[in-house]
Amino acid sequence: MKLMDCPIHGKRPISEFLYGGEIRESPDPDTCTDGAWADYVFSRNSVPGIKREWWCHVPSTTWFVAERDTGAGDVLKTYLYGSPAS
Amino acid sequence: MPWRLLRYAMNPAHPDGRMFSRPEKLRNRYDVVIIGGGGHGLAAAYYLAREHGIRNVCVLEKGYIGGGNTGRNTTIIRSNYITPEGVRFYDESVRLWQDLSEDFDLNLFYATRGHYTLAHSDSAMRTMRLRAEINKHYGIASEVVDREILRRELPMMDLSGGGHAPVLGALYHAPGAIARHDAVAWGYARGADRRGVEIHQQTEVLGLAVRSGKIHAVQTSRGTIETDSVLCAVAGATPRILAMLGLTSPVCVHPLQAMVSEPVKPWLDPIVVSGSLHVYVSQSARGELVLGASLDPYELHSTRSTLDFAEGLSAHILDLFPFLSQIRIVRQWAGMADMTPDFSPIMGKTPIGGFYLDAGWGTWGFKATPVAGKTMAHTIATGREHPLAAGFSLERFRNFALTGEKGAAAVGH
Amino acid sequence: MTGERLPPVQGEWIDRETPVCFSFEGKPFSGFSGDTVSSALWASGQKILGRSFKYHRPRGIFSLANHDINAMMQSGGVPNIRADITQIRNGMELFPVNTWGGLSRDRARILDHLSAFLPVGFYYKAFYGKRLFPYWERLFRAMTGLGRVDFSQPRQFTAKEHDFCSIAVVGAGPSGLSAALSAADLGADVVLVDENGHPGGSGHYQRGGDDSQWRTTEALWAKVLAHPRIRTRADTCAAGYYADHWIPLVSGQKMTKLRAGAVIFAMGAFEQPAVFRNNDLPGIMLASAAQRLIYRYAVRPMRNAVVLCGNSDGYRAALDLLAHGIRIAAILDFREADGSGSSRRVQDLGVPVHFGKCIYEAMPTADGKGVAGVRVARFQGGQALAGSGLEEISCDGVAVSVGWAPAANLLYQAGARMLFSTTLQQFVPGAFPQGIFACGRLNGVYGYGDRLQDGASAGQQAAAFLGYGECGPRPRFLEAAGPSHPWPVVPHPSGKNFVDLDEDLQLRDYANAIQEGFDSPELLKRYTTNGMGPSQGKHSSMNALRILAHYTGRAPGETGTTTARPFFHPVPLAILAGRGFHPERHTPMHEEHVALDAVWMRTGEWLRPEYYRSAGLDRAAAIQAEVRSVRQNVGLIDVGTLGKLEVSGPGAAEFLERIYLPRYANLKTGMTRYAVMCDEAGTVLDDGVVARLSGDLFYFTTTSSGAAGLYRELVRLNTLWQLDCTLANLTGAHAAVNLAGPKSREVLGLLADVDLAPASFPYLGVRQGRVAGIPARILRVGFVGEWGYEIHVPSSMGTALWKALLQAGRAFGIRAFGVEAQRILRLEKGHLIVGQDTDGLTTPFEAGLDWAVRMDKPFFVGKRSLQILSRTPPRQRLAGFVLESPLPGAIPEESCLVVQDGSIAGRITSIACSAACGAWVGMAMVDRELAAAGTAIRIRLASGALVRARITALPFYDPGQSRQKEVPCD
Repeated sequence: MKLMDCPIHGKRPISEFLYGGEIRESPDPDTCTDGAWADYVFSRNSVPGIKREWWCHVPSTTWFVAERDTGAGDVLKTYLYGSPAS
Repeated sequence: MPWRLLRYAMNPAHPDGRMFSRPEKLRNRYDVVIIGGGGHGLAAAYYLAREHGIRNVCVLEKGYIGGGNTGRNTTIIRSNYITPEGVRFYDESVRLWQDLSEDFDLNLFYATRGHYTLAHSDSAMRTMRLRAEINKHYGIASEVVDREILRRELPMMDLSGGGHAPVLGALYHAPGAIARHDAVAWGYARGADRRGVEIHQQTEVLGLAVRSGKIHAVQTSRGTIETDSVLCAVAGATPRILAMLGLTSPVCVHPLQAMVSEPVKPWLDPIVVSGSLHVYVSQSARGELVLGASLDPYELHSTRSTLDFAEGLSAHILDLFPFLSQIRIVRQWAGMADMTPDFSPIMGKTPIGGFYLDAGWGTWGFKATPVAGKTMAHTIATGREHPLAAGFSLERFRNFALTGEKGAAAVGH
Repeated sequence: MTGERLPPVQGEWIDRETPVCFSFEGKPFSGFSGDTVSSALWASGQKILGRSFKYHRPRGIFSLANHDINAMMQSGGVPNIRADITQIRNGMELFPVNTWGGLSRDRARILDHLSAFLPVGFYYKAFYGKRLFPYWERLFRAMTGLGRVDFSQPRQFTAKEHDFCSIAVVGAGPSGLSAALSAADLGADVVLVDENGHPGGSGHYQRGGDDSQWRTTEALWAKVLAHPRIRTRADTCAAGYYADHWIPLVSGQKMTKLRAGAVIFAMGAFEQPAVFRNNDLPGIMLASAAQRLIYRYAVRPMRNAVVLCGNSDGYRAALDLLAHGIRIAAILDFREADGSGSSRRVQDLGVPVHFGKCIYEAMPTADGKGVAGVRVARFQGGQALAGSGLEEISCDGVAVSVGWAPAANLLYQAGARMLFSTTLQQFVPGAFPQGIFACGRLNGVYGYGDRLQDGASAGQQAAAFLGYGECGPRPRFLEAAGPSHPWPVVPHPSGKNFVDLDEDLQLRDYANAIQEGFDSPELLKRYTTNGMGPSQGKHSSMNALRILAHYTGRAPGETGTTTARPFFHPVPLAILAGRGFHPERHTPMHEEHVALDAVWMRTGEWLRPEYYRSAGLDRAAAIQAEVRSVRQNVGLIDVGTLGKLEVSGPGAAEFLERIYLPRYANLKTGMTRYAVMCDEAGTVLDDGVVARLSGDLFYFTTTSSGAAGLYRELVRLNTLWQLDCTLANLTGAHAAVNLAGPKSREVLGLLADVDLAPASFPYLGVRQGRVAGIPARILRVGFVGEWGYEIHVPSSMGTALWKALLQAGRAFGIRAFGVEAQRILRLEKGHLIVGQDTDGLTTPFEAGLDWAVRMDKPFFVGKRSLQILSRTPPRQRLAGFVLESPLPGAIPEESCLVVQDGSIAGRITSIACSAACGAWVGMAMVDRELAAAGTAIRIRLASGALVRARITALPFYDPGQSRQKEVPCD
C-alpha cells in the first residue's frame, strides 16, 4: 500500500487518508458569470500532472495539502494548508 | 459440431484472412477521424459506415484495439438504471447486443444470465424498488425479489452476508448478461474495416488544430490529417484530449480494479452484485469467477493494482459465498474510468464545431458500446443529437440539469 | 512401491522414515513425507497425472515448479490442488480435475481427434445462432472449468501479519543467499523469502553431476541461518509487489504484509519448453523438472532418456541423469556446437551427441499414454529438414533444456523496464525504480560463480541505497554462450506441437491468429488465450513472443511484451480476505434496548431499534402502539446516533452562517433553529438543529448517516476559511434521547433542575442543567409533533438517563419507541428525511425548503448555485398526499411511481398509515404541475394497478402546532 506523509503524524498507509480533491480557486460568486460558476462547480482538471490536493488523515481529521503527481501516483510534498511551505 | 467448422478440417491452409487490415499510411484527409480504437470508437466507425454510408473514416489508436477499458472490464450488460434517460438508452443497447453476434458473424458469447443487485438495508430496498418501478414503466424486466426467492434461486448464498450484512432482498433483472469483451472490439473492427474504415493502431494523437471555432486537423505520431469531424472516444484519457483544445469537463479519472479466479466447473449462472459489500461476481464461460468492486477513491492515471482492493473484495465475496475460501485468485488488473458528477455519460457536441465527445462512462462504458456507437454515429452524420442521448450533453452541467444516475451506482455493474 | 524411487540422494527433501498413504482415483498409493503428489505418483509408476484443458490429452510431470496446470487435483471439496507442489498427507483422496470418466478412459479424449475442426478461436466462428447459443454455452461451460466447488465447505478465517525490514530478498537461490548475506553484513536487517520449503533454488538441483555447487549453496544457507540480521521465511510466496515496497508474503496459512526499505529480486528464471510435435506426452519434461525429481524427491524421472538441448544447461542435466543411473540414448542439440566442459564430459562418458538436430516429433507408446521414442531431424535455418527415413531413437522420456525466461513478474509490477538482450536471447532488466534491485538469472547472470558475485553486489547496492556502506558499480558478466535458444520451435504439418500447455495451444494456432490480424503481443494473447490459464504464461509467453516475432519478421525485442500482474502464484480467497473487519456501532443504551426486546435495524455502521417487540402484537401493531404512546402519553427514543458537533469561538456564528442556509448570527442565546445545508451545486446535503449555548458557543446536530463525513468536511472548510473558531465532534461523547408526548413535561419535571414552565423554557429553547443529577443539554424540539425535549448527556451516563426517564415515566404510560414509529410521527408532521425524501440531486426549492434559503446573507455554501437555480421554477416538488378511500387492496410502497397520462410524474418517498389522521399519508416528489394541494394523482402499485390519492398541504397533523408549543393566547 502506498504511504502518505501526514505533516502531523508522519508516514501512514494511504488507507488512513481521504482524498479531498484538487485545491481550486473559487471565482468571486458575486461577480462571476453563471457559466464561470457552473464551470467551477462541475468541471475538473483531470489531466495527469502535479496537483495540489486536499487530503485528510481520517483518524485525527487532519486536513493538509499534498502535491501529487496524478500520473505516476507519487506524493512529492505534504504540508499544512497556509503553512510557509505552501 | 456446426458445419461451418468443417472448412477448417478440409483446408490444408488456414482459410481465414485478417479480421482487420493494418493500413500502411495515413491519408491526408478523412471525413471523420475517431480518436480511440476501443469498443466505442470502433462501434461509431462501424455505424457511420453501415448506417450512414460515411466510409472515409479512420480510427486512431495509441496502443492496440480494444486495449483500454474494452479489454479490462468485467463484461456485465444490463439496463436496470434509475433515470428514464438511462433506462431507455441502455435498453436500446441490450437490444443491439442481442443481435450483435449474428450481425458480426462472430460469437461474442453474449449470454443472458440474469442479474441480482442485493439490498442489505432499508434504503437500498427503496432504491431497488424505484429501479424496478422505473424499469417496468419502460417495459424492462426488473423486479424486487425477497429473501425466499433468493433462497430458492441462489441456495448457496449466505443470506446473512457473513453475519454482518444480512440480505433483505434484491433487484432481479432477467436480461442481465455477460459477453466476451475483446471480441466486441474485433467484431466492430472487422465490420468497419470491411466497409472501408481504416484502423490505425500504434498511432497517437499529439494535437488538434482548430480554425475559427471548428476542428480542422489532427496531429498524430504518424503525420497530420485534415478533417471536419473528430470523435473523441478515449475513456480514461478524455481530459488529455480536451486539454489539447483548451476545453474542460467534469470528467475525473479514477482507476477501477477487478480480479479473476482459476477456472472451476460452472456453479453460478447469474451475475450477483452487492452495493453495500462492494462486490460483483459472475462466472465466465471458461469457468473463471470475474470479480469487481468499487472505484479507487482518488484520481490517478495508472493501471497499477492495489493489495487492499484484493483483500477487501475477497473478504466480501466470502461473506456471500463462504465455500469459495480455497478458490484462488489468478490475476488482478485495473482500467481507467471517466467519472462524472451525476454518473451519467457525456455525449454529443462540444463548443468546438465538429468535435464530438463520447466520454464520462464511469464504470458503465462496456454495456453501452453498441448504443453509444450508434447514437454518436447519428449525431456526427446528421449534425443532430440522437434523441436517446439527449440527456447526456456536456451542456447540462452549464444548466444545472444533471441526470442523476448516482442512486443506481453505488457499485452498479 | 515400484521401482522409480532412487537410493538416498544427498539433500533429498523426503523423509524415508515416514511413509504416507493416499489414494488417487480410488487406488491406494504411498510415498514419503516430503513427497508432492506428483513425485509420489511418479515414484509409484503413475505417469498420467491429468488430462489437458481442451483436447483432454494425457499429461504427466512438466515443470514440477508450480505450473503443472494439467496435473490439478480435487480433494473432497477443495478443487485445483496443484499436484506438483502440494505435499501428500495420510488419507488424502485425490482425483484429477478435468476428466470425463477417469484418466484412462476419459470420454472427452475424442476431442483430441477433432482438433482439426477446432482451430484457434473456433468458438468465435460458430455456435452463435440465437436459438442454439444457450445450448452451446451450456456445453462449453460444462467442458471448461477445472475442479468443482463444494457448497458445504466452511468459510476459513486466516490471520494476517505485518512485518517490516530494511531489505527484502525474494528468492533464496545462490544469488539471493549471497545478496542477503552481503546486505546484512553491511548492517541492514534482511528478510529472505523463498516459495520452497528448502532453500537453495537451482543451487540445490542443478548439480551437473557434481555436488560441489550444492555444497557451496548449503554453506551459504548455514551462514544465512546463523546471521543475526537475517530472518528467513520458507514455504512463502511473494505474491505481488505493491507501491512503496509492500509485498504480501503468502504461506499456507496466512498472509504477512511486508514493508521493506528496498527489495532485491532474486527469483531466478522459468525453464522454457521446446515446441515439437507431441512435446506434451507424459515422460517429456523440462530438464529442471527431471533434476527436481532426482534431487528433491529421489525419483527417477525416466529410465532411458533423450536429452534435447538448446544450451549448455542441458549437458549439466545430462550429467545429473547419468549420475543417477539413467541411460541416455542420445543428446540432440539444436545448435551446431557446444563448447562447455559439461558437453565434453558427457561425450567422454560415451553418450552420443548430435549437433544441429532436433526432435521432429515424439512418438507415443501404443496406448498413447507415454513416449516410446523420438524421430530426429536435421535442424537448419530455423526449421527441421523433415523427409523420409528420419532416424528414430527409442526412449521412455525426454529432458528438454532449451532456454529460460526471467521470473520477472514482480519486477514488472515494481515498474522496472525489461529489455531484450540479443546475446542472452531473453529479457533482462533495463531501468530500475528507486530501491528495486535484481540479481542472478533474473538479472541475466547465469554462471554459478557469477551469480554469487552478482548477488553480493546487489546486496551492497541495496544496503548503500539505505545508507549502509558504499558500493561501486555493479560488475558485468559476459556469458560464453546464450542460455536460451532463439528459436526452439519445430513446425510440423500435423501439429500437436504445444506452446501453452494450460490452454492446449499449438504452434499453428499462433500462426493462424497472426494471419487473422492479431499481430501484437496483447492481441495475440487475447485471441489465442496464450498465458491466460492458471500458470499465467510462465512457460508460454516467451515462446509466444518468439513465434510472433518470427512470423512477423521482427526481433523479439521489437514486438514488446505483455505485462505481468499480481499474483505471482494464485492466492486463495481466504488468505486474501483474512478475518474481515466489520465495525458496528452501538449507542450507550444498547443493552437497555436489548432488555426491551428491540428489533434491530442497520443504518450505516449503527444498530438502532427499529421497534420493540410487544407481547401479542405483530410488527405493525407494535409500531402503532409506540406511535400512540407518543401521541397520547409520552414516548422515549434513543437518538444518540445523531451527529453532535460543537463550534466555539468568536468566529463560530460566522462559520454557521456560511455552512447552513438559514441565519444564525441573530439566533438568541438559549434558542435553537432548524439547520439545512447544501453542497456547492445547491443540492441538499444534511439537516439538523443549531443551538446557541452562549455568544460564542453553538451545539448542533446532523443526520446519523452524515455525521462523520460532515464533520470532516466542516473541518476542511474551516481549514480553508481560517475563521477564529474551533470544531469538536461530540457524536461519540454524548448520548441523546428524545422525550416526546403530551406528558413529557411532567415526566421531565420529576427529574430536571431546569424550570420547564413555557415562559422560561419556550418552544425551540435550549437549557443546560441536570436531569436525574446528570449534566444535560435540553433542546425543546418538535420533530415528532408533540411537546418534547431532546436531552443530551455524556455518553457514560446515557444508560442512567434512559433508566431514570423510563422509571419516572412509568406512571404516565411511557413507552420506548423505535425508528419506525419516529418515521410515522415525523411524516404526520410533514418533516422530511434527508436521503429518503431527497436524493443526490434534490435542491431546497424542490424539497419545499425555500423558506430556509436566506439569499440576503453575503455568502453560504451553495448560494451562487441556488441563485442560478432559483431563476427557473423547480421541475419537481416534494408534496404531501393522502390515499383516497376506498382504500385499495394493496398499499403502495415507498418508491412507487406517480403516473400522469402514461408518463412518470413522480415517486413516493414516504408513506405510512396514520392513526392520528385516520388515513394513509405520504410524501411524494412530483412534477411541479401536480404539486398544488387538492390535485388528484395516481400511484402505480408494483403489481401495475393504479391507486388514487390527493395532494394535501403539509403537515397532516396539527397544522397549528398547538401540541408542540404553547398556544399564543395561553
